[in-house]
Amino acid sequence: MRKQSRSISLVIGILVIFSMLFTACAAPVAPAAAPAADVAAAPAEPAAGALDPMTLVSDPAWWATAAEPYKGVTITGISESTPPSRYAAEVLGPAFTALTGINVNFEVTSWDEMYNKPIKDMEAGTGIYDFVYIEQDIIYSYLARDFMTNLTQLLADNPQLKSADFDLSKFTSFIDNFKDADGNVYGIPMEAFIKPYLYRMDLFTDPAIMEAFKAEYGYDLAPATTHEQYMDIAKFFTKYGEDNGLELWGTTNQAHTGHASSTYEYFETVAPTFGIFNWGINMDTWKACEANGGSMNSQTAKDALQWRVDLLQYSPPESTASTWDEVAATFAAGRAAQGFVYGENTVWIALDPDRSQVVGKVGVALPPLSDGVMAQIESGEGYIGYYDGGAFGVPSTSKNKEAALLWEQFIGLESVQPAWAIAGSRIVMESTYDDPMIQEANAKADNYYTKMKEEGPLYRGAPPFPFHNQVRGAIDPFIWKALAGDMSAADALDQACVVAEETMMQLGYGE
Amino acid sequence: MRSNRMGWGLLAPTLIILGIFGLLPFFYVIYVGFFDWNVFSAEVGRQFAGADNYRRLVFDEEFLGSVGRTLLFAFCVVTIEMILGFLLAQTLVRDFPGKAVFRTIYALPIMIAPIAVGATWKLLTIPGFGLLPYYLDKWFGIEYQLGSHSGQAFWTTVVMDVWHWTPFVTLTMLAGLTAIPKEPLEQAQVDGANRFQVLRFLTIPMMMPVIITTLFIRIMDALRVMDEVFLLTGGGPANATRYIGILIWRVVFPQTNYGYGSAMSLLVLYMTLVLAFLLFSVLSRVGKQNTSEK
Amino acid sequence: MGKKRSNLGLIGTYILWTMMSIFTLLPIYWMVVVSARSRVELFSPGKFWQTTFYAQNYTNPLTSPAFQRYIANSLIIATSNALLVITLALFATYALSRWKLNGADNIFFWTITNRMAPAAAFILPLFLLFTRAFKLGDFMMFDTRIGLILLYCVFNLPFAIWLLKGIIDGIPIELDEAALVDGAGRWTILYRVILPLAAPGLAIAGILCWMFAWNEYLFAAALTSTRARTITTGLAEFVTVTGTNWGEMAAVATISLLPALIFLVFVQKYIVMGLTFGAVKE
Repeated sequence: MRKQSRSISLVIGILVIFSMLFTACAAPVAPAAAPAADVAAAPAEPAAGALDPMTLVSDPAWWATAAEPYKGVTITGISESTPPSRYAAEVLGPAFTALTGINVNFEVTSWDEMYNKPIKDMEAGTGIYDFVYIEQDIIYSYLARDFMTNLTQLLADNPQLKSADFDLSKFTSFIDNFKDADGNVYGIPMEAFIKPYLYRMDLFTDPAIMEAFKAEYGYDLAPATTHEQYMDIAKFFTKYGEDNGLELWGTTNQAHTGHASSTYEYFETVAPTFGIFNWGINMDTWKACEANGGSMNSQTAKDALQWRVDLLQYSPPESTASTWDEVAATFAAGRAAQGFVYGENTVWIALDPDRSQVVGKVGVALPPLSDGVMAQIESGEGYIGYYDGGAFGVPSTSKNKEAALLWEQFIGLESVQPAWAIAGSRIVMESTYDDPMIQEANAKADNYYTKMKEEGPLYRGAPPFPFHNQVRGAIDPFIWKALAGDMSAADALDQACVVAEETMMQLGYGE
Repeated sequence: MRSNRMGWGLLAPTLIILGIFGLLPFFYVIYVGFFDWNVFSAEVGRQFAGADNYRRLVFDEEFLGSVGRTLLFAFCVVTIEMILGFLLAQTLVRDFPGKAVFRTIYALPIMIAPIAVGATWKLLTIPGFGLLPYYLDKWFGIEYQLGSHSGQAFWTTVVMDVWHWTPFVTLTMLAGLTAIPKEPLEQAQVDGANRFQVLRFLTIPMMMPVIITTLFIRIMDALRVMDEVFLLTGGGPANATRYIGILIWRVVFPQTNYGYGSAMSLLVLYMTLVLAFLLFSVLSRVGKQNTSEK
Repeated sequence: MGKKRSNLGLIGTYILWTMMSIFTLLPIYWMVVVSARSRVELFSPGKFWQTTFYAQNYTNPLTSPAFQRYIANSLIIATSNALLVITLALFATYALSRWKLNGADNIFFWTITNRMAPAAAFILPLFLLFTRAFKLGDFMMFDTRIGLILLYCVFNLPFAIWLLKGIIDGIPIELDEAALVDGAGRWTILYRVILPLAAPGLAIAGILCWMFAWNEYLFAAALTSTRARTITTGLAEFVTVTGTNWGEMAAVATISLLPALIFLVFVQKYIVMGLTFGAVKE
């Protein structure tokens, strides 16, 4: 009897939990909604298996012959779990295997592990990885340690492995980031984006809103060209959201107070537009403080950080918990009128109704600037923002360099680029811009790709620091403190520059 | 009384595994702690640095602050979990209809991976799509932003840990409560002892081994808390929840400072050991006193 | 009067446990709700009840062969580890309880330190151990399931021994002696006498070890690549630059909870047996 009641309560327990787990599907709407979503989402999925490797290369037989000695070899690679990398893992990898008989073991993982694992591997000389993702900002660290294989040299040494279809000159200038002083290439670009200024075109062109804005601020509402305008617009739309009961704020803010992304937004996106370049570090002396010839704690730098902190009051409440992903999600949810959003998100935010509520409403512009900064940018002294991206390189410790070299060429073929660009909204070759699929997306996304092509030279990758992550890691807490309001912007930078100098000295840079 | 050979034989596989996968890495960490070894320093490889790392640590405000916060965190969560867990276990000793249901539901959080716990609580607490900020604002007018308010972030990590681990404490306590002999308790009640007296002079002393074990496991794990807090706040805002596990992870991996990170680990380990030893002596004395009083 | 008091106590117990259940379930409920939402529905915190179900969050990972492999790996690693640990822990605690082994207690004091030290610094030596020391031709322990199974013993064994020590010590030595007199060997005693009596404790220890192995993230992320990767490591894949896929991540977290839940419900019976443990002993 007692036993029975026990098993009954057990069954009830199971039922309660399972019914809880599936409350969601209990509603009658569900069956109708699910298939509809399926159909809509289908085109967004990378077209796995749709790639016929034989049509991608002019001479399949050559690939088979060249790969003959490495047939059955497995090359292992690692990259971040992003759409471009997933496409490479799920579509390009199998196509390459079909063409050459070389297996590709492709590990996609989190951003942190994407660094941790290959660095351990290369430092210990284990030779697990045959190709690794090199984010643009880490290449200088890797080169300083001779972690990467000189691909130019490797190609020259192995002429029998040089595909006739592979041509380094077809890449955009982004490939220059992966060259040493002598022009040797250490990584084949696989993705590249700019970080532009996005705004809500529908709001910015709404006549009633425009009129109200002009009445209040005395000038026409348009994408901001100065920081003051940007602040005005942020303030205006925050109030507009409040007055109209909308979940709308003035700007996005990549201000996570426990993640490196907020430091990046400051150094890559905000500080340059005020005229602070290279994180305010003097690269001749490796000094950061103004007293020692740096500019990390200059008045301009402090103004820039203060501007950013001030913007928080006009940012959605999730901003201090937002990394680059949440910023994109916030903008896509229609919760911000403007913002700086990494370019790999621009196209899906503008085009994909499954993920974005602002389809067709996205405007793309250059970030606002302080006086005189444009001149610095055009003279080549500075840059307007971040040209982001990455490449696949071959670690020096790899034991399958030749097989990896064939793979590097395969992902660098002109023929694989357009479909890859659609799957991951990344462009690394000039010719990809002209592809009809890209042109179509371009038209719907306020000419993002055209702007990337034409204004791309105004943007630049991270400064060539051999200690990128180390110094950034040391600075992070001060930027976080400023954003959390625990410390003034001025104090934060005054302390950050001291710690940055200490870290550089510990690493052997600067006196 | 018997040959020890069989005893050591039964123990051998355990010792071999613990030796290889536990002690060897431990010695390596001790060794690396004496070197200046950052992957991206100008001078390649590791340089012997003697006790430099430790000298630096003693003055490292970041490190000391983190140790303090971790101790505070561990104190809060372990106190709450032990008391709550023990009391809840008491209510589960007796049979009542529906107990299995409650217990199954209640044990759920232990099953969830720390990293998923972090994700779950993040979903709950992100302004914009989390329940907590929305209802706290709607019902109480509280602005709940983990990314901006240090106090909120700290207490949220405490509540999260209590949510996650109190069931574990309850389970071990329950195992202990059901294992202790019932007759003395019943006898005492017959003799007219009230419930508090039974608890204080019989149950708790008899439970001492279980309590000590559970307490230690919880202290150790609370001191190394990492995955869930890392996912929830990343250690923020600024350093409000940057507990020692997260700090060391940041030093060892993103900053690739293997030597300094190893030294940090060892110092923390040393402090934990001292703490554990002190607690152990105090608690076992209390336990003995209780039994001898009886 | 006594009856009335116990009724009141019962009501109090129910109120208490209902509240505890709500507290426990709320975050999980919200996770399930988020797992049922498409990306465009995410930003609606005011909607407490979910009426639609976005199945793709589940079907996408479940139909992916890679993800299926993660689940299989996690199941194999956690189960093997739990079985190995409780077997070894039973041997070890029995040995510690019935023989006087000089120095053995100290050994445990030292091994338990592994659970005290922050994990991050130990990844490098373990990585070297897995890739350099355990290497036979092309085989290395990096990215193998056996590597993780053995490694998790380091964390679970001392824990299981601590948990079982009290229970085995509590089994009267007279039972052993009686069996010895009856002519039983040590193995028979272990199997026929100790095992049944320690079973509830072993079950709880086993479950907790299983949970630890199923849930471990840091070492699994660092010491596996693609072949032995576990479900928790797969979970971290969803946090990406191009918009964390919260819905899918919540779905995977829910899925990762399911086997554990079924397991729990299944062994619940065994834990319930633990409640009659005191009676069995007589």
